[in-house]
Amino acid sequence: MKRNKPLALVAGAALLTLAACGGGSSDEGETGEGTNREFGDQEGGTKDASLQGPAAEVEGATEGGTITVYLAGDPGPDSLDPTGGWSVTGNSIQQALTSRSLTQYIRDEEGQPVLVPDLATDLGTANEDFTEWTFTIREDATWEDGKPVTPEEVAFGICRSLDSEAFPSGPGTKYSKDYFAGGADYEGPYTGKDPQCENWDGVTVNGQDITISMEKPFPEMDYWGAFMAMGPAPLGNASKPPNYGTKPLSNGPYKVESYKPNEELVLVRNDQWAPESDPGRHQYADEFVFKFNQDQAKVDEIMLSDNADSQTAVSASLGSDKYNDANAQLGDRLVQQTSQCVSTLTPDYTKITEIEVRKALAYAYPYEDVWIAGGEVPGVTRIPANSIMPPGMAGKKDFQVDGEQITYDPEKAKELLAEAGYEDGYEITMVYYEVDPLAKATQDQITKGFEASGFTVNAIPVQESPYNVWLDPDNKVNKKLNLRGVNWCSDWPSASTMIPPLLGGDEVYNTAFFKEAAVDEEIDRIVTEVPMDEQPAAWGDLDEMIMTDYFPIIPTAFRNDLFVFGTKIGNPTGDGSIGAPNYKDLYVMQ
Amino acid sequence: MSAQTAGPETLGSLSDEPEHQDPNSQQAKEISGKSPMRIALGRLAKDKIAVVCAVVVLFFVFCAVFAGPICALFGVSLETPLASERVDGLNNGLPKPEMGPPNGDFTWEHPMGVAPRTGEDNLAYWLYGCRVSLTIAFVATMIASIVGVIVGLLAGFLGGAVDRVLSFFVDMFLTIPFLLAALTLAPILNERFNTSPDYPTIQKFSLVMVLALFGWMGTARLIRGEVLALREREFVQAARVMGMPTSRILFKELLPNLAAPIIISVSLMLPAFVALEAGLAYLGIGVTDGVSWGQTILKAATPTYFREYPQYLWQPLLGIVALVLSLNLLGDAVRDALDPKTRR
Repeated sequence: MKRNKPLALVAGAALLTLAACGGGSSDEGETGEGTNREFGDQEGGTKDASLQGPAAEVEGATEGGTITVYLAGDPGPDSLDPTGGWSVTGNSIQQALTSRSLTQYIRDEEGQPVLVPDLATDLGTANEDFTEWTFTIREDATWEDGKPVTPEEVAFGICRSLDSEAFPSGPGTKYSKDYFAGGADYEGPYTGKDPQCENWDGVTVNGQDITISMEKPFPEMDYWGAFMAMGPAPLGNASKPPNYGTKPLSNGPYKVESYKPNEELVLVRNDQWAPESDPGRHQYADEFVFKFNQDQAKVDEIMLSDNADSQTAVSASLGSDKYNDANAQLGDRLVQQTSQCVSTLTPDYTKITEIEVRKALAYAYPYEDVWIAGGEVPGVTRIPANSIMPPGMAGKKDFQVDGEQITYDPEKAKELLAEAGYEDGYEITMVYYEVDPLAKATQDQITKGFEASGFTVNAIPVQESPYNVWLDPDNKVNKKLNLRGVNWCSDWPSASTMIPPLLGGDEVYNTAFFKEAAVDEEIDRIVTEVPMDEQPAAWGDLDEMIMTDYFPIIPTAFRNDLFVFGTKIGNPTGDGSIGAPNYKDLYVMQ
Repeated sequence: MSAQTAGPETLGSLSDEPEHQDPNSQQAKEISGKSPMRIALGRLAKDKIAVVCAVVVLFFVFCAVFAGPICALFGVSLETPLASERVDGLNNGLPKPEMGPPNGDFTWEHPMGVAPRTGEDNLAYWLYGCRVSLTIAFVATMIASIVGVIVGLLAGFLGGAVDRVLSFFVDMFLTIPFLLAALTLAPILNERFNTSPDYPTIQKFSLVMVLALFGWMGTARLIRGEVLALREREFVQAARVMGMPTSRILFKELLPNLAAPIIISVSLMLPAFVALEAGLAYLGIGVTDGVSWGQTILKAATPTYFREYPQYLWQPLLGIVALVLSLNLLGDAVRDALDPKTRR
């Protein structure tokens, strides 16, 4: 999924994170106090199909208390409907606390995410070619009104995800529609006037088992099952959108007490939730209060003041101007979390046809200066990137296109331009978001670097999100551009959610318009022919092949998030599967 | 102004009528033979606050006009440096010690320091920000005053249908919320002109237009009121009887009598526009290329920078406060000097 702000160019401290989730690995990088904070080794996620409830107790955890979570510069989800959720903020909260799905992630002792069962008793069984998946729904899970969660309700929830008109920004528009048998043609229970979901036979219920048929092989259904969209919904009108989105029926350890969109979400204990039925979640605090759209500077002051309010508070971001203070003062209460995201520049493959020019751009980009001017902390919230697959993703290769990390080197860029026959300069046309001074400042740095390297830069200011320009084929500004950018995060720890969406032939977010038959064929081959356990290596090889042979996209940074925890919050950790605080395991020290 | 002038003031008005006073008195002799302007200037020169304010305003005008040479003198420029050369990304993006305060000692290379995060030179940005501020405010004031005066003259003198139509427009523009209109216009203009190489100039021009568009109504009303009073006076009626064309009556008979209210409205409009320019830039809908005091304030107004590097916020803030305050006080003093009814 994308990050809402194209932070390669618009590097704001306040991350507005739309769209989604996941990520393969995590680590909180507590390798040292002081300024030499480093990231530990990262691994791809693991799976544990046999884990059963109740979840292991967090050492020293106590019950009671209220945890306040500040989400600075983040409006939060528009709706709490599980089917519509595809944002880091909304999904991280709801999947951890209120809305269960087929599978879920827990955080193991090393801080790595582990895929474990949730409403299903295991991680599902697939047939040989992954075109049919069967999940057995556990019998002891309940709704907040005490009624059991039935397989029919899970099947109905899955059916809802096919309604791309009722849930236009839901993740089902991509995965359910693409992979589920007949999904592309079925309009959904609401748009298709089929409230019982009788006209779609992609999912069948047999006792406690539900079986999903696939249009094409989908070996990663178990990961897709961790999205709350793959969870139950009450049958019939009780879950009709958009009303259901204001107060969805909870089946997790917490239920919605009150919800004001863009302002506040209050969750309280759900006494009908049975710990034995849930292998991953806890119910320590009495109450969670999420405050959206907070002012970053204000939140930073609150969190650093260590007063009674902030001791039981969590902030999901930190202004970079506060990094030093926070680092010195907070110690392990400042948590770094890889977000499995990559920032990229995408030269238009149809206009900038020479690989030398694309490489020259990579050498002309003043990485560190751009990060500083954009309010990022070099080496902490942004680290140099070598390819599309983020660190820790299974199959990630530690290669360098030119033998070593590409850094700002205007002389080298000039040489490359000369090699391509452009001694006299090469015009780059790009856009920046002029309303944000940080975006303007980063653009100044980019322009400076490019011009020092022999390019001429035509930077067009726009007053809407650059994504609106980049993704609109009819936009007159977009037609002029030959350099764009995308920030992309993985939906789950597999390169199949990174490489195809960014570099597949006709994908929406392929703003480079990169299209090579060889790459498309290889993507197709990996998805359909390569056995599951060999796929990561195949993706890694493809990643290297694309970067070495074509260099169609310039990865500028891998991204990390910073979380701040109050002094009375127990178990301050991040959730590596989604890039958010680890809400499942937090408690208030009594 | 001094006390001697109290006598004639009480009798004076905005007319050419001879003043009724004892022609043999001391004061009368002192001011005899002086034009009203000379009298006003004399009063101004004796007003200490006015003199100080005038000096301050002249200083800013000097800075604005000679921004280029002054920058050259200090060896600074608006050019964007590579951020990592001047600021420390691991220390909250604050300037490196060799760049001067807050972490180092004063250096002549950057007399006002450099900006955090970007390392741009503060002096250059301050000087050119002053130029942008004054240029925009001055041009907008000119346009708004000219439009206001013409509308006021026509509405007041012609009366009838013309007055009703013009007054309708005055009232209509008064009802449009300025900020809302500016907020709406910014993206429209951006959409239309953002691919033009002259975009920064167009942006400033449109800003001038927006300010002028919402600034002329006050002057128009003021002038209309004055004209309504003046047009029934004998000298205007005499001019009419003699068959003078309307334009001549307007510009030769009425306009000279309106010098005082026009100067006053100009002198109060200027500081208002300086403040508005900075305010709009702060909101990100005015000047967006960074060379504006408002934009600098926007970047500087974070608790961290204010605590660790307060100069960065104080520099543009003091510029705006000093300029607006002295323009305002000077405007007040000019008003007092020109108003014969003032007693001090």
